[in-house]
Amino acid sequence: MRVLTGLILGMISGATPILLAALGGAFTYYAGVFNIAMEGMMLMAAFFAVLGSFYLHSWLAGLFLAIVGSLLLALIFILFAVVLHTDEFITGIALNLFALGATIYMLRQIFKVKGAFNDPGIIAIPALHIPGLETIPWLGQILSGQNLVVYLALLATLISAYCVFRTRFGLRLRAAGYNPACLDTSGVPTARIRIQSLLVCGVLCGLAGAYLSLGYVRMFVENMSAGRGWISLAAVILVNGNPWGIAIISLVFGFFDGLGLFLQSYNIAPQFTAMVPYLATLVALYFYSMRQRKKVT
Amino acid sequence: MRQKFLTGISGILIALLIGAVIMASQGYDPFSTYLALFQYSLFSLYSFATTVKNSTPLILTGLSASIAFASGVVNLGQPGQLVMGALLATLAGLYIHLPPALEIPLLILAAMLGGVLWSGLAAFLRRAFNMSEFIVTLMLNMIADFFTTWVISFPLWDPKAFSPMTPQMDQAGWLPDIGDFSTVIFFMLLATAISWFIFNRWKAGYEWRMGGQNSLFARLGGCNVERNYVAVMLITGALAGLAGGLVVMGGPHRFIKGLGANYAWDGIMIAIVANNGLVATLLYGIFFSAIQTGALGMELITNVPSEISQVLQAVLVLVIVAGREYLNTLLDQIQTRRRARERTI
Amino acid sequence: MDDLIRFSHLVKVYPPNVLALDDVSASFRQGEIHAVVGENGAGKTTLMKVFYGLVPRSAGEIFYRDQPVNFHQPGEAIAQGIGMVHQEILLIPEYTVWQNIILGIEPMGWFGRLDEKKARKQVQAKINEFQFNLDPDARVGEISVSARQKVEIIKLLYRNVSVLILDEPTAVLTPQEIPQLFAELGRLRDNGHTILFISHRLDEVLELSDRITVMRRGKMVATVEASTTDKVELARMMVGRDVIFTSRRQQSQPGQVVFEANHLSYKDNEGRERLKDINLQVRAGEIVGVAGVEGNGQFELVNTLIGLTAPTLGRITVSGNDLTHAPILERRRFISFVPQDRGKMGASLVASILENSIMTHHRLDERFSIWKGLLLNDAFARQFTDRLESQFSVSMASKFNPFRSLSGGNQQKVILGRELLLSSPFILLDQPTRGLDVGSIEYVHQLVLQMRAEGRAVLIISADLEELFLIADRIVVLYRGQIVANMPVETTSVEQVGYYMLEGRGETV
Repeated sequence: MRVLTGLILGMISGATPILLAALGGAFTYYAGVFNIAMEGMMLMAAFFAVLGSFYLHSWLAGLFLAIVGSLLLALIFILFAVVLHTDEFITGIALNLFALGATIYMLRQIFKVKGAFNDPGIIAIPALHIPGLETIPWLGQILSGQNLVVYLALLATLISAYCVFRTRFGLRLRAAGYNPACLDTSGVPTARIRIQSLLVCGVLCGLAGAYLSLGYVRMFVENMSAGRGWISLAAVILVNGNPWGIAIISLVFGFFDGLGLFLQSYNIAPQFTAMVPYLATLVALYFYSMRQRKKVT
Repeated sequence: MRQKFLTGISGILIALLIGAVIMASQGYDPFSTYLALFQYSLFSLYSFATTVKNSTPLILTGLSASIAFASGVVNLGQPGQLVMGALLATLAGLYIHLPPALEIPLLILAAMLGGVLWSGLAAFLRRAFNMSEFIVTLMLNMIADFFTTWVISFPLWDPKAFSPMTPQMDQAGWLPDIGDFSTVIFFMLLATAISWFIFNRWKAGYEWRMGGQNSLFARLGGCNVERNYVAVMLITGALAGLAGGLVVMGGPHRFIKGLGANYAWDGIMIAIVANNGLVATLLYGIFFSAIQTGALGMELITNVPSEISQVLQAVLVLVIVAGREYLNTLLDQIQTRRRARERTI
Repeated sequence: MDDLIRFSHLVKVYPPNVLALDDVSASFRQGEIHAVVGENGAGKTTLMKVFYGLVPRSAGEIFYRDQPVNFHQPGEAIAQGIGMVHQEILLIPEYTVWQNIILGIEPMGWFGRLDEKKARKQVQAKINEFQFNLDPDARVGEISVSARQKVEIIKLLYRNVSVLILDEPTAVLTPQEIPQLFAELGRLRDNGHTILFISHRLDEVLELSDRITVMRRGKMVATVEASTTDKVELARMMVGRDVIFTSRRQQSQPGQVVFEANHLSYKDNEGRERLKDINLQVRAGEIVGVAGVEGNGQFELVNTLIGLTAPTLGRITVSGNDLTHAPILERRRFISFVPQDRGKMGASLVASILENSIMTHHRLDERFSIWKGLLLNDAFARQFTDRLESQFSVSMASKFNPFRSLSGGNQQKVILGRELLLSSPFILLDQPTRGLDVGSIEYVHQLVLQMRAEGRAVLIISADLEELFLIADRIVVLYRGQIVANMPVETTSVEQVGYYMLEGRGETV
């Protein structure tokens, strides 16, 4: 039973950053933006989170600064891809590499270390204890006491689903992806919608990155996003952007992420356990592709 | 052609300018920094030779990406194919012992095989199950990274070393230097020449290019688009694998952790900056290598951290690519305005 | 009567130096139906796009209700009461009719919520007001083309436009659907709306409009009252010379059967029968025209013939060879194919003209290879392209220039040349003259008739009934995947064929 609890807790913490980044990716996906910069946005956010938390002695400052960092990258994306009409794929790749180089550079310049920065002065994002839920036997320890960001992620899922399918903005958002020319002639500039979707993505990736360095662990490691941005991209594509689908897929990936850590205690080499989420993505892609194939033939 | 040159040069200048601003904001003197940068990469025979040697993996992975993208194949797996190539070359070098004249070609083939197997896997998954190679190659990169780390940490680990790496391979497989220049360069140039020839002069290359520009057109024209896809995946995988092999054979002669998958990401960027042109890839490859090689020396003299080269690179890519689009639009606008003025008089 | 809209010395240059509008001045009155006619490339669409704000003008002025206006985007024009319906219907197929109509001015509730109920009600009210026949909940992707056109019009009326601009509105309709549209437009005009429409179909223009403006090569030629002019005069103004409207086809004797489709059927993945038991023959020296409203099986027919999809049943034979399941290269030995969409299927726009010319030849003709078939014979490729250039009168600056540097007509000539030089017995043409100017159209027709004289078998699919009646020997009508008519062209008429296209059967007297 403790194993199950451990696995579920691992699943939730592994799923959270992927869920947040994927929700961000969903907005840009619906808007018709080919956005692969989630990886870079998360990484920047993770660094800025530690920066804010350490120097301003507050996790809230860290959270806020993380969003700022991620938005900075989103703004650069907007400048190049939307305003200057640079190819979105190229912009995304360049931004990811920029984030990698910049965070390594800043790690060295500001914290004077290489590889990782770990210090008791970093204030982590706290867990949230919900008094009523805590009393429920067994479920109580899962539903309550999760990191604040986990609850934010849940909230984000609900809000995203409502926003995309029930609001005026959502109607226009999807229209921008379905037929941008039509949206333009209907009097709504598609560029504006795309910019807004990128900003939303920036905020959500900011939360994801903050969770990585102030929740999941309490430090910054070089390249700590570790491909999660790519996994969240896969998630978005697999479910065509649907927020509920993203939630489910994120849980699946999170499960495998947690499983990886779990397997380490069974003497399986850490490298193989680290592979698990990526192998899982491949398997998920297999099922997705076979299903698509059946539709076509 | 002139436009490409113009965009390239102006892009480089603007990016260097932006880099100077960044350096100045950090309290470093841009002029002496850039001087040191280029001094340590281009201004002496030794540094130039080093730059060219270091450009090898950049150029080879860049070619891999260029050929793939220009053929409509989304092979983003160069990082994984590079390390797999390096691994297989190391394996062969550790366990197969032949005289140098045979060992070296063997290791080269092993390296290419490593890349081919890894890209072939992605090609297979695409052909058999229609799995997008975009995601597959990206996932395989991570998997290859973990797998090779495991191999050099456990089964092939050199017990005398303090960090994960294999023992050194048979000396017969070490690529020697000729004067200041490494023979690695020879293989890189050979591979480049062969790639260019096939891509531009062979019927296969013609079909790949047409397929990349408009796959429906190629298919309707009778090209076997599926077979061409596999061929491109395999050949570009081989190029990336070769890059990995040459890194090992011409450098540490063993597989060290952190070998250089980063080369491959830089290679992809170079292909993009070069707009998939093969000659441009070669030139940009040397240029980016100059920045990277010079950065280490620059750090010695001016104390500017070498990581700034990565920031500079990313800025370069964005500026050149954005500049390319913008320049075209600008030139068109100028011509339009001129013509309109003619008419209204 | 005051002019509602006035254009004054409008100029529009497309880079690098294409003069789409050359000092155009024109005026339009309130409450009239005013047609703008001209050949393809005359500038009619550009004129309206400049007015509407889709495209910035290079010089000149526009006055609306005597005020100078300069719309930078359609939204501004719509705010002033001007709306445009484009030739390619610009709707969102995944959304319903009401969603498409309210997009951009959606009624809102709390928290940015979309007020669906209110939206549906308002849309239904508008539909009733103008007596259009639309279901607000239908998905736009699933309704007919003429219904989609109506959705576009209602979308603008919903925004209370008083000026409607329509770009080639009848291009997507069958002959039977056109009177309905004209009736609706007439009602709108009587209601006080102003209608500008672009067309190159002179009969319709004369029937519907009050006044007609003729454009040629970017210049304004004249504005005339519809009642005082006729087709011949309009055509002369459009083209600049007398256009012959009679057929140039000579009688001939078709020979053996070259192409044969037997019981050809195709069911798509959702189980819908797209092709039902097609039996078709084309003989040597014969031109068979396939007529039909777009979406009745033409796409699937072409795909099965060319090899992009396999039929679920049936056989395809060319010159005695069973090609039903043959790979595409195999088919190309016997079939020349000119696709509907040049840019999407017929060429690589960024590749050079030479590279486009040698496609398929590079595989089928051994003179193109050297060294065990691995290398391309550059010298021969160049020679071949030169030959193509002269034989088909292609006007190009250099064969190494990108394909897209050629004009539409020249692009089509290169494609035709490439395909016809394959010397295959069977030629499949899909909308070969779409988007071309009168001169190029004439040239293509000439070529096709020449192929017929040389004894090749030609199957031409066309939405232009006039064209089919001009060059085809026999006309076949596709309706819901079946061939519902197959008759020699002398025994039928445009109206009769139109009826078959729409109803799937002959007219009952």
